[in-house]
Amino acid sequence: MGMTWITRLAAGARVPVFIAMGDGAPAAALTLSRHPGLSVVDTPRAASILLVAGQMPDALIPYLHRLHDQLPHPRATLLWQSPPIPSLPDAIAVDADDDIGRAVADVFAAVLEGKRASAPDILPDAPPSEWRGVGPHGQGGKGMMGGTPYGRPMAMTDDDIRDRLALDSYTAAFGPFLPFFPPGLVLTLTLQGDVIQKVVVTHPPFDHDGSPLATLLNLLGLPALATRSLGDRADDPVLRRLIQLSGARFAIPSGLGRLPDGSDVRTRFDRMTGAAPDAASQDAGDTTLEHLLVGLEWHAAMLVLCSLDPATLRDICKNSDTGDQDETQGESESEMHAGHMS
Amino acid sequence: MTLLTVLGMLVFLCTSVWLAVALDTACRGWISGQGADRADGPLRTAALWLTQQRLTTEAPDRMNALLSIAGYMALALTGLALVPLGPDTALIALPTSVVLWGACEALVVVVVFLHGWSPNAPLAMIGAYRYVAIGLPIMLLSMFVLIAAALPAQSLDLRDIVTSQADVWNLIRQPLGLPLFLLLGLSLTLRGPFDYADSADLAGGTSVEASGPDRLGWQIARLAMLTEFSAMAATVFLGGYLGPVLPGPLWIALKTLLVMTLVIGLSHLAARMPVSRMMSLIWMILLPLSFADLIWAGLVAL
Amino acid sequence: METILTLAGIFALTLVFVVGLRAAGWSDFAGPSTAPQQRPVLGGGDPQTHAWQRFHARYYTMTLLFVAFEMEMMFMYPWAVIYVAEGGKALAEMGMFLAILSVGILYGWREGIFKWE
Repeated sequence: MGMTWITRLAAGARVPVFIAMGDGAPAAALTLSRHPGLSVVDTPRAASILLVAGQMPDALIPYLHRLHDQLPHPRATLLWQSPPIPSLPDAIAVDADDDIGRAVADVFAAVLEGKRASAPDILPDAPPSEWRGVGPHGQGGKGMMGGTPYGRPMAMTDDDIRDRLALDSYTAAFGPFLPFFPPGLVLTLTLQGDVIQKVVVTHPPFDHDGSPLATLLNLLGLPALATRSLGDRADDPVLRRLIQLSGARFAIPSGLGRLPDGSDVRTRFDRMTGAAPDAASQDAGDTTLEHLLVGLEWHAAMLVLCSLDPATLRDICKNSDTGDQDETQGESESEMHAGHMS
Repeated sequence: MTLLTVLGMLVFLCTSVWLAVALDTACRGWISGQGADRADGPLRTAALWLTQQRLTTEAPDRMNALLSIAGYMALALTGLALVPLGPDTALIALPTSVVLWGACEALVVVVVFLHGWSPNAPLAMIGAYRYVAIGLPIMLLSMFVLIAAALPAQSLDLRDIVTSQADVWNLIRQPLGLPLFLLLGLSLTLRGPFDYADSADLAGGTSVEASGPDRLGWQIARLAMLTEFSAMAATVFLGGYLGPVLPGPLWIALKTLLVMTLVIGLSHLAARMPVSRMMSLIWMILLPLSFADLIWAGLVAL
Repeated sequence: METILTLAGIFALTLVFVVGLRAAGWSDFAGPSTAPQQRPVLGGGDPQTHAWQRFHARYYTMTLLFVAFEMEMMFMYPWAVIYVAEGGKALAEMGMFLAILSVGILYGWREGIFKWE
């Protein structure tokens, strides 16, 4: 296929990259948003390149498959300091000493120009459950709410923990590849509206540091300051001043996400920005994620999750309900494996 | 003549959409300490989005997905057509143009909601519902501020509101007006501290599922809305087309860009709070402030 | 009439805009979405049900207060036009109206309707 003027124009764009953080991801992956040739995006729908940084544990491979297939064509996958993944035979390996910007730009140009085929789906082209021609109306439904209309069941009612209104409750596995989730963490959340009703830790976070200050600033709607906080200046007085002016402290409700050691999101944020002295470490005690997140609205819950330092979060996850994994994930996992074997 | 005006406004809209992206990236680069982007950056990203595949979700609401983008754009264009370019020139010359603009502003809540509703996806839907909680009360606030601006003009016609500012701009006459009105701008264009629809804590909120041309359409509509809002703020508070030496349309264009810069700067420098906190802030503090603005304007007008 | 024509022109323009965006020919990669591409974005996770639901909009009590204020707007439009002519009387009237509505805000605050529950 010939290269149209529009493709030529597109080839000069900043390459939209979605990062899937694995275990032991290279430190440079955290500061990739500062790279002039790339733009790190929040959703796979906006990305052309899927960048797998670090090693992906087996338990997360089905999640990676689902993520991989959500990118629009043209797309390609890069494995950055990651061992090969059998289900991704076309993925390009990038070593520690390679220039990641160069590698991404080369693959992007090749795919856009048609010199390299856009990566095909890993999962089979079949709906979550078969619905065509099923049921009295042929849409998979049964009765008022039953069956699997268009491939999935409808949400069912449950009592809300706050006001006991019986509206629909929605359950899904969130993460691990949400940009604001601590790397590796998968939570199966039950929501009513945007308030969390139930938390189950489906996969614990990895044992390495993320960039909590940048994530928190992003969650507070300050992406430019987040990028600035990733810079190499150890103590940046301008950053401190701008964070102060932004009202970020005021935006965080006081008492949110309080731990047994008395710290809340605001005090932990102060420690990160250097406005308060660093405490030795946070003390999780026997706090569980349930204590911290249940009853919170989505934005507040994400602020709590990202304010915890990695070690504390791991302790809290150990205390928390890890659910009966076979019940929620086992089924879809076996389905996935069957899918990419064929 | 009218045709020429239409063409002129379309050219202005395109330029200002491009300028808005450039300003946005410049602002971001300056704050993050990375420096500016290439000037053709926005155009190239647009081309990339056009090149990408347009994805749909499981059992989406196709009609409303299309209508939300078209509707957002149509509301921006309608608002822009209401902006007076001279004593008698406005594409839509209504004696009640403030009322029509108020209606457009209210419908923005509907189209943003539909944008989050149509993909049948959880993060988009949370963004949609959450936006309504802030979009409704912030609209009240802006209407009080607009009515206050209409008092000295004794008219609901934007052209009269401009002429009433011949001696002194509403910016000075009603000092609370523009700051409160800018908050509405942030909310209408889903930006910074009022971005409860397309925010980072939902990985893009109502646009989390948008790819390719749909993403491009939504972003262009957002920027068109930013242009429209800025032009409206310039008309109501900065004396619109009034100004010495230069022709009227040039003045309104310059003032529009000034307001736009303000909105973009604010959106990068002010933090966003959780939605319930913002809801309390609007009802308990900002809305009473807008009452004060109205009473202040009333006393001054007498 | 002219206004309606202008509005019709605007709607036509926006339709051209969205249909033009989605027109084939821009992209070599256009094509229908496959089933795995259609799954909702959850960062790799998978939902158990459709997202459409009887959503718990926790601000429903706030919307009642909103309607009261929105009705007040109907009164304010004509009031703004005759305000200067009527003078102090109009100011007093609006002051009273706003005072009564403000009691509504205080009541709502006491009942905790701005607190997302």
